[in-house]
Amino acid sequence: MADVAQNALGTPPGKQRQRRVSSDSGWSILRWIMIIIGMTIVLVPFLWLVTTSFKPESAYLAYPPRFIPDNWTLEGYRILFQKEQLGRFFLNSLVITLTSTVLSVAFGSIAAYSLARAKLPFRLNNIIAFWMLLTRMYPAIATAIPYFLLIRELNLLDTRWALIITHTAFNLPFVIWLMIGFYQELPKELERAAMVDGCSAWQRFTKIVLPLSAPALVATSILAAILSWNEFLFAVMLTRNEAKTLPVVMSGFITDKGLLWNQMTALGVITVLPVLLFAIAVQKYLVRGLTLGAVKE
Amino acid sequence: MTSVTFDHVTKRYGQVEAVKDLNLEIPDGQFMTLVGPSGCGKSTTLNMLAGLDDVTEGDIYLDSDRVTNTPPGERDIAMVFQSYALYPHMSVRDNLGFALKIRNESRQDIASRVGRAAEMLGITELLDRKPRQLSGGQRQRVALGRALVREPRLFLLDEPLSNLDAKLRVQMRAELKLLFDRLATTVVYVTHDQAEAMTLSDRVAIFNHGVVQQIGKPLELYNHPRNIFVAGFLGSPPMNFLDGEIGEDGQMVRGNGFSIPLTGRKLDISRGQKVVLGIRPEDVSIGAAGSLPLHSAVSLVEPMGSSTVIYAPIGDKLVTVETGKESSITAGSSISLELPPDSIHVFDAASGESLTSTSGIITSV
Repeated sequence: MADVAQNALGTPPGKQRQRRVSSDSGWSILRWIMIIIGMTIVLVPFLWLVTTSFKPESAYLAYPPRFIPDNWTLEGYRILFQKEQLGRFFLNSLVITLTSTVLSVAFGSIAAYSLARAKLPFRLNNIIAFWMLLTRMYPAIATAIPYFLLIRELNLLDTRWALIITHTAFNLPFVIWLMIGFYQELPKELERAAMVDGCSAWQRFTKIVLPLSAPALVATSILAAILSWNEFLFAVMLTRNEAKTLPVVMSGFITDKGLLWNQMTALGVITVLPVLLFAIAVQKYLVRGLTLGAVKE
Repeated sequence: MTSVTFDHVTKRYGQVEAVKDLNLEIPDGQFMTLVGPSGCGKSTTLNMLAGLDDVTEGDIYLDSDRVTNTPPGERDIAMVFQSYALYPHMSVRDNLGFALKIRNESRQDIASRVGRAAEMLGITELLDRKPRQLSGGQRQRVALGRALVREPRLFLLDEPLSNLDAKLRVQMRAELKLLFDRLATTVVYVTHDQAEAMTLSDRVAIFNHGVVQQIGKPLELYNHPRNIFVAGFLGSPPMNFLDGEIGEDGQMVRGNGFSIPLTGRKLDISRGQKVVLGIRPEDVSIGAAGSLPLHSAVSLVEPMGSSTVIYAPIGDKLVTVETGKESSITAGSSISLELPPDSIHVFDAASGESLTSTSGIITSV
């Protein structure tokens, strides 16, 4: 019966199926090519970083360069771990990242909630939100000198607080913008129900809005943490030795005697690892958080 | 146990008047339904009563307490939302107990009240599920349960049945009626469904364009509509309307394809006045061709099972007639119709006001 109907439309069913199969396989080949190109662009530098960290000097200076070394060595890591201060720099990075992430997400989500819910006159909500974003529109180096002077006046040069303050300030607009979008999508009737149930504004936020926004908060935290962990410009400018973070230490391997490639890449691997492990651990939330709002219950 | 009073309440959004000078009294224990088409101001009225929307002008009282500026949580009211608004991250049990927890009731007290409400609604076995694991009807019950647990002085329900399928809606309607009859608490119910308004309510307020058109008992509104809007809104199939003009003798109404006497009716009408005649489908008499004064041919027959709905033209208007269970009439057959004068509602064509209804805007309390 179905065949008859299809024949009546002028296309034999067998032929139609064949054409669909061939165009499907064409698509899937193209798709694989795109994926391979994408993965190559992203992964090759990273793999090069990893293999270089295991190369002896002769291999990483070899010309033409060799992707996979003949001899593998832990020399770079050995020298690195012998520097007793490495642990402290790692701790600096960790403390600064965690503190600035917690601060920026805590303040940012409250600010975003207020901006998403408050009815301010003259479209002030939009103006404030846009003004926040403005601070991310100019290159960070433009504020380098004022920041340096400010931090010096505060007597915070070369302290963890210098970077905690800076990173929090730079992450805030980012957190606010991500969270405003999320809060605007949250059904308002839930909060109205909570109002009738007797919740104060703060209870509404903590008991209804926060639990529902947990995935979005996790996703935002991850992105904020990565930005802070990898930040270099202000870290190199505002620290000397005490509060140095891993990216600054890494840049220290560019010496007047040349580049210490194996130590630098070894530290690169050590710097990447925590972020990578963290991201894998919370991947479930990351994907859910970034696609939230698209899925309505 | 609470009475509600709206005293000259107006709500404006910018230039738009959503509710205009509303005066409404709901006595203690009454089931009051606010009904009307979308955008008529009924939901805004409910939200003002809940405290979710500000009042622009006027005052709202619960008993003698002025609550115009009281926050929703302090009004001791419970509300069921159209979307149910169940907290998705909480189990049914926590949803039901949330308001009590916020009010720092003891854990034992919360457990026993949640248990009682769940039993009343037959959702005891669902208590440990999350809202997303429930069907539409079950969510609806949980939303109701969340209001019941509170044992509030006033229940507000905002189109609670509109997300259910037709069959479940009728079933839940009956359950709601039984439930609130038993509770005997004051209820304010908002719906756009005239059937819900008719079946559930002690009294109904019909809204249109932010103004109450008429308030009264359901059958009072049905039998004595104050204007064309009320007459057309209540009833399914809806009332038939025919345009006409009062004749020279002041008794006959002439229109396109008909001429009907209004004998024996006390009407404040004048000769030549343009009027609209209204007659309910079940009041139209139908007979074999030639037996009744108006001649017509059947356009369409709808057998509904319990009744048969027949469409036949009078002049340029298609008139709806509702007859008994089974009818031998088929489309195309010649019939005759009669509009019995006693069942005819006469409205002024210009103002839409009824010339036959004797009831004022507030007919009974």
